[in-house]
Amino acid sequence: MKAKRRVIMSSGRPLGASRTPRPPRRRPALATVVPKPKSEPRSSAATSQAEAADAARDVEIDLSVDLGRGLVLPNPILVASGAFGYGVEYGDVVDVDRLGAICCKGTTLKPRIGNPTPRVTETPGGMLNSIGLQNPGVDAVIEKYAGTWAGWNVPVIVNVAGESVSDYVEVTRRLEGVPGIAGIELNISCPNVGKGGLQFAIDAGAAGEVTAAVRRATDLPLLVKLSPNVADIRPIARAIAEAGADALTAINTLSGIAVAPGRGRPLLGNIYGGLSGPAVKPVALRIVYEAAQAVKIPIIAIGGVTELADVLDFLSVGAVAVQVGTAIFADPTLPVRLVDELSAECRRVGVTTHLDLVGSALPNRAGAPSAKGVEYRP
Amino acid sequence: MTMRLAAAELVESREILPGQWLQAYHAPTIASGSRAGQFVHVRTGDFSGMVLRRPFSVNTADLATGVITIHFRVIGRGTEWFTRLRAGDEIDLLGPLGRPFEVDPRSRHLLLVAGGLGMAGVRMLADEAIRDGRQVTLLFGAASSREVYPSSLLPDEIEYVVATDDGSLGHHGFVTDLVPEYEAWADQAFACGPSAMLAALARQAEGRRGRLGVASLGRKRGGGRGDPAGSPAARRKAFLQVSMEQNMGCAVGACLGCVVMSTSGVPQRVCREGPVFAAEELVWEGAWS
Ligand SMILES: Cc1cc2nc3c(=O)[nH]c(=O)nc-3n(C[C@H](O)[C@H](O)[C@H](O)COP(=O)(O)O)c2cc1C
Ligand code: FES
Repeated sequence: MKAKRRVIMSSGRPLGASRTPRPPRRRPALATVVPKPKSEPRSSAATSQAEAADAARDVEIDLSVDLGRGLVLPNPILVASGAFGYGVEYGDVVDVDRLGAICCKGTTLKPRIGNPTPRVTETPGGMLNSIGLQNPGVDAVIEKYAGTWAGWNVPVIVNVAGESVSDYVEVTRRLEGVPGIAGIELNISCPNVGKGGLQFAIDAGAAGEVTAAVRRATDLPLLVKLSPNVADIRPIARAIAEAGADALTAINTLSGIAVAPGRGRPLLGNIYGGLSGPAVKPVALRIVYEAAQAVKIPIIAIGGVTELADVLDFLSVGAVAVQVGTAIFADPTLPVRLVDELSAECRRVGVTTHLDLVGSALPNRAGAPSAKGVEYRP
Repeated sequence: MTMRLAAAELVESREILPGQWLQAYHAPTIASGSRAGQFVHVRTGDFSGMVLRRPFSVNTADLATGVITIHFRVIGRGTEWFTRLRAGDEIDLLGPLGRPFEVDPRSRHLLLVAGGLGMAGVRMLADEAIRDGRQVTLLFGAASSREVYPSSLLPDEIEYVVATDDGSLGHHGFVTDLVPEYEAWADQAFACGPSAMLAALARQAEGRRGRLGVASLGRKRGGGRGDPAGSPAARRKAFLQVSMEQNMGCAVGACLGCVVMSTSGVPQRVCREGPVFAAEELVWEGAWS
């Protein structure tokens, strides 16, 4: 089965097919963000910087990210699943075609009505949500939205959820070949009914198994989303990469609980919720940092992105792109602004692609693998 | 009007009741685009600490001056933050959001029922109704006289009837006790307040047609033919419309955080399909209410 490939346009220039393909990046791309001298060495740092800035002004910055299998994101700022619905809800407030990609709300085989309310609450520096994967089911999603998506330049990646390997495979089969669907992101933070409700995401075997099964079922670009609620992410990341995923996305929310003020009982209708927002960023940085040293496939970071500095932090620990989730609720214009700011930042530091900023905080590959922190982790 | 992001300047801020604030913002696009029942989603200044916007009903909107008001109780860090704003400060509004109340053009007598802060949900409808030449009775319930919305802040043309739980002002008891008296007079009712109050009103409204007999003859209300459930036309024909509240994330229909359960078994988004619903569209008992 061959999926329809879309040509993704960026500033009027077709990418992908007609563009000279960049060899896939291997992390760490560069251990330093210092601009490379263009010709002879400069005499002083000051003139060198000023000249680099001059030279950079008219240089075109290429923010595209090649995830393989024909999926080339026009830029590395995506919107995260669950925060941007099906891409249509924000209407004129957001120009979706300026986004790197849209990950739509989690989609299951059958419709789901989701969890009882309340479903969301603010927490210090973040929020808890327990939507419970409310969605109309894959067939309705395709019928209602795929036509709209096919008319957009922005790639739409469908976030797929299920309770068994066959669920994931069946949803994927139905998405295969549908115009308007650019890829799949597996949300494996779901209970595996076949394994007593144990989440796929917390078990390397189950994570690898579901990835492999979906891989066999589709040629669509396949992203797999990691859960932070695990003791060690590395074996899980490796199992997913070996099973044929094209990229990892990380992280999904952290499991948490809120108590209703003054009532002494759980606030959320579902008791448990997923924590997101700035509060989870250090955890996301740690997971990306560890996964980046465990696998060679690209990693898209998620968790608490609210400003350019967060994007740069995630690039430095090995991510090639980021997703923005919770911050959209406060500022729906943030993702598009981050695209412009990242472009300006590349110019400022004298690189032509943000990929040159990837991996600078990772330990030197030539040295011994880092065991720092592992033995002391609580 | 479609929603947009708008900068709004604080014009006036006043504590009208202990812990309850009325704030006026200059936001011409929102003022001209809003209808009663709609709301705005307002960003707090401290994003790193408070990641969510706060939804507020458009309490009043003045076309001539471009000023809208919001009315809120200080219940947490976000609302506390708003009280510290000073005249001239700018905030960021997303709106107008949600679907408005739908008044049947034939309705002469509107019964508005508000519990506590629910006043903010129906306040603007009083202005619209008077502008359109309708008669309005507003029933208001609060815990005690200290929490009774000042009549000076309401239009002169309405009849304002108060109930307090402790009997310190007006009727001693629930605001819902007052409803039967107006049941025959009212062509339509519109309510906002605690969910227990709305559920009680919904039960009252259900039995109304049977009790009224003659008074409702010839008036086809509630479930008119050809109007799909949830459509503005179906709502326009409902006797009781309620404005619902729910914790919100996005307020534009993207996150599914704000739902209430409908009789069709499909959760409805308060921010998108609501906040105004016909009472008979919703489930009032069980885990979802
Ligand atoms: C309201 C809400 C709904 C979400 N729904 C999904 C979902 O359906 N599938 C999924 O994989 N992740 C879902 N997430 C997780 C986000 O995609 C993201 O991984 C997480 O929120 C961390 O990013 P952030 O801090 O930028 O929000 C949801 C998050 C929120 C806040
Ligand atoms: S608050 Fe997000 S769907 Fe209503």
